[in-house]
Amino acid sequence: MRLRKSSARGHAQLAALFLAAAPLLAHAADWPQWRGPARNGIATEKGWLDQFPAVGPKIAWRAQVGLGASSFVVAGGRAFTMGHADGKDTVFCFEASSGKPIWKHSYPAELGDKFFEGGTTGTPTLDGDRLYTLSRWGDTFCFDAATGKILWSVNVQKETGCRVPDWGFTGAPLVLDGRLILNVGEAGVALDKTTGKILWKSGDKDAGYSTPLPVELGGRTLVLLGSSKSYLAVTPVDGKEAWRAAWVTEYGVNAADPIVSGGRMFISSGYGKGGALFTLGTGAPDEVWRARAFRTQLNAAVLHAGHLYGVDGDTTSIGGIKCLDFATGTEKWAHKDFRVGALSMADGLLLALSGTGTLVIAPASPAEFKPTATAKILDGKCWTAPVLAHGLIYCRNTNGAVVVVDARKP
Amino acid sequence: MKTDRRSFIRTSAVAGAAFTAAPFIRAAAPGRKFRTALIGCGWWGKNILKEAMASGCCQTVALADVDATVLEVAADQVNALSGDTPKTYKDYRELLAREKPDIAIIATPDHWHALNTIAAVAAGAHVFVEKPTGHTVNESRAMVKAVRDSGRVAQIGLHRRIGPHHVSGIQFLKSGAVGEVGMVRVFAHGGGDVEKPAPNEEPPDGMDWNFWCGPAPLRPFNKRIHPGGWRNYLDYANGQLGDWGVHWLDQVMWWSDGAPLKRVFCAGGRPVRGAPVLNAKEQTTDAPDHQIATYEFEKFTCVWEHRRFADNNSEKHKIGAYFYGTKGVLHLGWRDGWTFYPAAKSGKIEHGAPQLQEPDGHNLALLWSDFMAAIDARRAPVANIEVAHRASVLPLLGMVSWRTGRSLAWDAATETIIGDPEANGLLSRPYREPWIYPQA
Repeated sequence: MRLRKSSARGHAQLAALFLAAAPLLAHAADWPQWRGPARNGIATEKGWLDQFPAVGPKIAWRAQVGLGASSFVVAGGRAFTMGHADGKDTVFCFEASSGKPIWKHSYPAELGDKFFEGGTTGTPTLDGDRLYTLSRWGDTFCFDAATGKILWSVNVQKETGCRVPDWGFTGAPLVLDGRLILNVGEAGVALDKTTGKILWKSGDKDAGYSTPLPVELGGRTLVLLGSSKSYLAVTPVDGKEAWRAAWVTEYGVNAADPIVSGGRMFISSGYGKGGALFTLGTGAPDEVWRARAFRTQLNAAVLHAGHLYGVDGDTTSIGGIKCLDFATGTEKWAHKDFRVGALSMADGLLLALSGTGTLVIAPASPAEFKPTATAKILDGKCWTAPVLAHGLIYCRNTNGAVVVVDARKP
Repeated sequence: MKTDRRSFIRTSAVAGAAFTAAPFIRAAAPGRKFRTALIGCGWWGKNILKEAMASGCCQTVALADVDATVLEVAADQVNALSGDTPKTYKDYRELLAREKPDIAIIATPDHWHALNTIAAVAAGAHVFVEKPTGHTVNESRAMVKAVRDSGRVAQIGLHRRIGPHHVSGIQFLKSGAVGEVGMVRVFAHGGGDVEKPAPNEEPPDGMDWNFWCGPAPLRPFNKRIHPGGWRNYLDYANGQLGDWGVHWLDQVMWWSDGAPLKRVFCAGGRPVRGAPVLNAKEQTTDAPDHQIATYEFEKFTCVWEHRRFADNNSEKHKIGAYFYGTKGVLHLGWRDGWTFYPAAKSGKIEHGAPQLQEPDGHNLALLWSDFMAAIDARRAPVANIEVAHRASVLPLLGMVSWRTGRSLAWDAATETIIGDPEANGLLSRPYREPWIYPQA
């Protein structure tokens, strides 16, 4: 079993095959969707700078996108994200190398500042020449990624009647075989990706906050969703539930995407819940181990060479980066005082942004956490994982300050 | 003054660890732990319970909450933190009857405090209950009577009674360094805007919303009320005045040794938030978005102010109390500690640094430790029921004045409003059946 390659074509060979086509064509170094080409938080890129000059990293560009924790997607020389200001959400398209604004689209939206500053929490998804976005309140857009022209839009909350969970819909859209699958309702909703027409929906219960994750399991494709009281699997064709693992978390915050490998699934939540590994079969998942002290509240960990690397703790806690053995749940090391930031990986290196805006690069090793580069690049709260694409590292804070670090080799 | 009120379990020592209490060593029965129960398992209740667990004096035997999911999560968290496996109950009455806890922590919304507390002490438990004491004045009086009759210890969650910078700030005041204080201004300001209604919904699966509302009116369920939003619904609490107001008015009572109130007038409304909405489809909050209450005492006047708009960046301090004396002004605050601004140009500004448990900025550990010590020594705790009753009555009377739109003369000896039967009627309120309003 392996992670299903998404239709956003993160695969190098695929990209090479289409190299002569449209300008937004995917490339191995693109990051076209939440958690990257393989939806595992790992970029395929190699040969970027893992050290910063003594004066600090070179900054390619800066921008202000408004409140929120939305991450970036990057392809075809364009970078996209979202933010909120003055009663409106805005979807931004920048020239990836320079930060030059290409287009943007705003629509009225609530700030949604329950227990935090509010703003957009979801991340756009690129699918070829189209960009899909979902707002916390259900506004779903399909844009022409090149121009920002709206190809269709629908409010999926109003269309389905599914309630909005406490912090709004947060999972990024998943494009899969002509469908746009959203974490809306108890077990997702699917739209026709070309028209926005609802194909199937689930019960009017609180959604969780994870991004729908496609996996190949036992010869079939399933989509995994964090729901408010469980992690569950549905078949993408009809939304039929295949199984669920009961997972009750405070306030229903099942936000971190599952990590699936070798017929096993790791899930983890904050609020003292911790993480657990399950074996997957046809029925309900079986718990293998539980790790109380590995609590990924907002962002999932990454799995590399048999070890999980992730940020443990709640946004209000001291937080820390930890490494766990995937097979046993044994903690290998813990680096404290990181606040609750987020991390990604590329070329065997952890790329982590602390909750207070320090960018850290360190080899992903179960032996130790030994950074090769550290730079304070942002203030405020940083809840969004750095995104590496074409040698540029895209970072933001919850106030909407964007800093793009140039890690290209000269 | 925005804080994230969601943290429960933290991974390592908190920043303010220096100000957490040393584990209390029980003089009496040192080996035995108090059988402890929590009624109301939301964010704050679990914060208190965490102090109980950290004290090493308590075993968590039971939890009560009307939401089965909340109960399950809380039991799991308790188990993770302490290894205890508490029994879970929907009905606090059943918990008290079956478990007979030594200690009941009560962290339900305000409209439940009186019934929960009275039942708990009647069942023989010492009680740690959140402020304010009651939702209406006569509930608070009934709580005082029940605690006295029971001979149990009741600590009310006024942690600013024991917070180190509050202790030193009040000492500074009482030393005479501020001179004769003739006026006090207590306040809590924050930002805010027009409020749009939120849609009513079915309550979450496994939650008994009817029970949550209990003696108070049954509103349609709405996520803006629960979790975490009920303070701004007057059926269940008393807005900002009944929340922050209790803490700061208590500081005034502390400084003045419980000066008896003579008269109160309170004005306020919702010019910014807008008129309250409540219909089958949707609702807004209904607490005032600003209030000014003037409290007249024999030797000084005290003004309460809150505003939930225009986040006040024009002033140094957004929350706390100003004591205006002949020798200068003392600001007693929260994360800004206390500061004395002398009247004399040659005078020196003096400052007491804040000493708080972060990230939430309270002093619960100290308050819990005092509670343990009070139980062992059979003495009154620092935030005992009389103290908390005096502090709670002030905002509750402010709300009666605001509702009636007139100034009220208060007889502190009989705890009645002089010559105003209608206003006296608002010292209690009708309960929804089958609940019965408690009598003092």
